[in-house]
Amino acid sequence: MTTIRDEMWKFRGILFNFAITDLKIRYKNSVLGILWSVVEPLLMLGVLFFVFSTMFKFEIEHFPIYLLSGIITYNFFKNGTNIALASLSNRSSLITQIYFPRSIPAISSCLTASIMLIVELVILGIFMVVLQFTPPLTIIFLIPIYLLAFVFVLGISLGLSVLNVKFKDVEFIWGIVLHAGFFLTPIFYQFDMLPENVRNILQLSPMVQIVTMVHHVTLYGTFPSLNSILYTSVSIFLILGIGYLIFRKYQARIVEEM
Amino acid sequence: MSEYSVRVKNTSKKFRLYHEKRTTIYESLVGSFNRKPHYETLQVLDNISFEVKKGESFGIVGRNGSGKTTLLRILSHIYQADSGSVETDGIVVPVLALGLGFHPELTATTNIYQSSILLGISKKQITENIDEIIKFAELEKFADVKLKNFSSGMQMRLAFATAVQVDPSILLLDEVIAVGDLNFQKKCRAVMMDFKERGKSIILVSHSPSDIEQLCDRAMFLKNGHIDAIGKPPEVLDAYRNYMDSLQK
Repeated sequence: MTTIRDEMWKFRGILFNFAITDLKIRYKNSVLGILWSVVEPLLMLGVLFFVFSTMFKFEIEHFPIYLLSGIITYNFFKNGTNIALASLSNRSSLITQIYFPRSIPAISSCLTASIMLIVELVILGIFMVVLQFTPPLTIIFLIPIYLLAFVFVLGISLGLSVLNVKFKDVEFIWGIVLHAGFFLTPIFYQFDMLPENVRNILQLSPMVQIVTMVHHVTLYGTFPSLNSILYTSVSIFLILGIGYLIFRKYQARIVEEM
Repeated sequence: MSEYSVRVKNTSKKFRLYHEKRTTIYESLVGSFNRKPHYETLQVLDNISFEVKKGESFGIVGRNGSGKTTLLRILSHIYQADSGSVETDGIVVPVLALGLGFHPELTATTNIYQSSILLGISKKQITENIDEIIKFAELEKFADVKLKNFSSGMQMRLAFATAVQVDPSILLLDEVIAVGDLNFQKKCRAVMMDFKERGKSIILVSHSPSDIEQLCDRAMFLKNGHIDAIGKPPEVLDAYRNYMDSLQK
């Protein structure tokens, strides 16, 4: 792990450069540009709010804020891993012509997603003002929660970025995983609405844990249980380790597959 | 290391040549039951050893597919050699046939920044030099145009201009000179002469015998991955011509 840190420090300039160009390329030829990263979750919010508050009559306290905070958190995971997935294979011309550490695209993808997350959090803030919702002081704990989420996204991104060069299927499989994950995470429902045996399985997902933590600190002013914090941290760092091992196994020869 | 800037010792590189490439997991799973080897190994470089002195320009000739570009990629750490050692002293900048890793959706200016930062130049330094790079590449009108609208000659000019301002200790040029127009070729030669005078090394891959003869102090002929001849350019070029003639008969 030390070598990866040294390389990162040496190449820190390019990390941000990649993150910015990722955003530029993502929104090229679009009139709204970066505003899309705001419009997209808002449209999602509108649809889900309509479906679950008028059609299914869910009664969740502060439903718009509950929904939006979940969508934003899941979006961070979705954006980061999705951008990272293609980050190496999209840069084949660069990788075959200049040497740089192969981990940089995956890491900068997580930075791109972080920039988008910050923009979306501003929108959440505006919603709170408009809906006259005063968040509890515990909202400050969003910072460590999102840092933990960053580690999670990074671990998965490192693995996905090299695997997608080896096996094109990864892209399709990951699309399904993200879709399923959206429904299996308490974003538009409350976790305790589910039967207990389902909950027991789903709570193994770090994303379920993170979204629940976000709800705790932004809506209810409570802390997640110590067990949940411990489990989430350990599993996320385990995933980072596995992601790094996969990355290390394939990274040297990846350029020959391009 | 004082006298030499590049030292390659017993370097070999194999590639896997997949006859029917398996890229999906299903195919890999099916393939693992099917014991027949689905690839053959291609020895691209076979026990290559050579040195390049500081201030020397070194030419490489050979047929297409003889391992010239692979060798340049190993020198610039893009590929890892299977065996042997490769030592380079100072910054290596490769200008390969396709440019400098430019992205078609980004403008010339953004591409200069991205590639230069990757090659180890600070952002501040690039900002100081950027006008000069664009002027050298004769692309003043196209600084804010996306690279996908550039001709191949323009891309090459941009790549060369960017590589030169990085001021590397070792410059690797793969079929670069031939792409530009006559005026630009003249400029390239002037820059190469200047580099040599300042004690920097140039490795030049070219199919033009006159370029090798005029620009290079020493040359090497690569034949199917091993060194067939190395030494003064005229002798190496003779060996290369004889070999090419023998193929035609």
